[in-house]
Amino acid sequence: MTQKIIRNIPLNRVEGDLDIRVEMTDGVVTEAWSSGTMFRGIEKTMVGRGPLDGLVLTPRVCGLCSICHLKAAAKALDMIARAQVPDDAIRLRNVAMIAEHIQSDMRHGFLMFATDFTNPAYGNHPLYDEAVRRYEAFKGSMVVETIRETKKLLEIVALIGGQWPHTSFMVPGGIASIPDAGDLLQCRQVLFRFRKWYEDRVLGCKLERWQEVRSSADLETWMEEADTHRNSELGFYIRFSQEAGLDRYGKGHVNFISYGSLDMPRQTEVASLGKGNVFIPSGFAAGTQLHSFDQEKVAEHVHYSWFEDYGGGKHPFEGETRPYASGEEGRKYSWAKAPRYDGEPAETGPLAEYIINQNPLFADLAGKKGPNVFVREMARLVRPTLVLPAMETWLREIDPSKTSYYARTNVIEEGEGFGLTMAARGALGHWVRIKNGQIEHYQIITPTAWHASPRDSQGVRGPWEEALLGVEGKDLDNPVELGHVIRSYDSCMVCCVHALRKNGHHGKFLL
Amino acid sequence: MTARIICVGNRFVDGDDIGPQVYDRLSLMALPPDVDIVDGGLLGLNLLRFAEGADRLVFVDSVFGFGREGEVLVLDAMEAADGMAASYGHSCGLAYLLRVLPEVCEGGMPQVLLVGVEGSATEPMISRAADLSIKLAEGEKGL
Repeated sequence: MTQKIIRNIPLNRVEGDLDIRVEMTDGVVTEAWSSGTMFRGIEKTMVGRGPLDGLVLTPRVCGLCSICHLKAAAKALDMIARAQVPDDAIRLRNVAMIAEHIQSDMRHGFLMFATDFTNPAYGNHPLYDEAVRRYEAFKGSMVVETIRETKKLLEIVALIGGQWPHTSFMVPGGIASIPDAGDLLQCRQVLFRFRKWYEDRVLGCKLERWQEVRSSADLETWMEEADTHRNSELGFYIRFSQEAGLDRYGKGHVNFISYGSLDMPRQTEVASLGKGNVFIPSGFAAGTQLHSFDQEKVAEHVHYSWFEDYGGGKHPFEGETRPYASGEEGRKYSWAKAPRYDGEPAETGPLAEYIINQNPLFADLAGKKGPNVFVREMARLVRPTLVLPAMETWLREIDPSKTSYYARTNVIEEGEGFGLTMAARGALGHWVRIKNGQIEHYQIITPTAWHASPRDSQGVRGPWEEALLGVEGKDLDNPVELGHVIRSYDSCMVCCVHALRKNGHHGKFLL
Repeated sequence: MTARIICVGNRFVDGDDIGPQVYDRLSLMALPPDVDIVDGGLLGLNLLRFAEGADRLVFVDSVFGFGREGEVLVLDAMEAADGMAASYGHSCGLAYLLRVLPEVCEGGMPQVLLVGVEGSATEPMISRAADLSIKLAEGEKGL
């Protein structure tokens, strides 16, 4: 007899503002709804403010990727002001952003995702005891190391931008800080130390050796080649995940989007991974079909979101943020809008970057089995192999005795601009219109808006909703498989308040 | 002996703004020479940098359920955090920091206390919490 149930799935470590509701038939997810439960409204807050206020306010959208918001805000204003950002300002904008990306990737991988490997659901997994030794909350060896090493890596941001998070050092025309030779040398030393830790502990090999892994066959060879590979965090991740079957579910729509990221200086030894003036190329991939990216094709739908309907999708320059939470409870179910590219939902983030830059390893892995939890998280763990060398080169290329970090720009009185980049979690865009010296219009589409999207006006599910279909939940009271799927996208619904609350005999922090 | 008073909270949220308000008060006061103050905001785990290198840490934060409305309490922060649910997440906060601090703190582990304020901030509570935090930072006991 078929058993059909609908449940709200409690998911921790994905933010408190997310509800996932699933319909399960005989233990398999047959329908899913992703609901953002908090109204953000930052766009409304921005209207009427001074043109530069976005540089201070929008980094506060997120404490994890505040530099990416700053970058998007600054790029939008660069466009309006027709700024010619000096090469060394571009380099330092990039270096700070990469440092933030990598700390986020490492913390997500070892403090959020791998923590699930210690879930009692894996009690019979042959690597369970080792997983507990590495990832047990608060005291696992890799938990401790990750906290210490990422703390140090962020010193780079503090040296360049004065603080982390929520620095505002990027301005239209460049950067406002003036790092001297000593600051840059310290950045290089921090980076040198981090790279050594990453190679020793996460990869188990030099970056150069990993970059030779270009197919699933190469990956098998790499795993068998040395104990240091098998026992590294990456090697352990591969062994644990494959035994647990994480490569068998979490497929999604098989659409990928990248806005492109890390602007290329005009003169640099760093080679772009694609074409054009960015290091991480932009693009949209429908399966293996790669298309050039055009921001005009980005739109947001609100048919199933708690906003006033406008029919179909609207480009962010035309977008509206008019909350409407009454009378439509049967249909509308999320405060998140539904971003679409040329009418299609899309996955973004490290795997999307790899697919769009046509990385042979990830094209092979995702091509053979389709996108899945395993390959999505692995893309995040090895992303530093792509960006660390560029970071090193850009820091080395700066001669502080001869450089300028800022070029005077036009006063921003009128105009329209957009700032697109790739945050740690994926495609991030700010669309801004200035009129009479004030912000008239501001729209932000975050990476998690792409992923947490509810259905669009055509009824098409968002990426998480689609990726959950077909997932078998072995224990509905402990749905670790569903958590893997959502966490593999590195969700971030954005937080706000916190306080200390005592609950019965034990206190807990509310976040 | 160095001490740090780390005030945490969200100054835009009523009931969670006591830490920032105490920070504002402390910043106008003459502090003992070995006491630093930190506006900890919502930094959570990223306060680790400020926790290291001090002999004594005094956190100031809003609390619920530890005392009566309007009460200003002194808690052994490590003890208070020990029984708390705290997992790492993008919004992980003071509880997570306190739980993980003994494992990750580089240098000696400081003594850690928490000045907790129950309920919405009022002028007398802000003053009391500010005075208490200085006395604790200076090592006074039996408060």
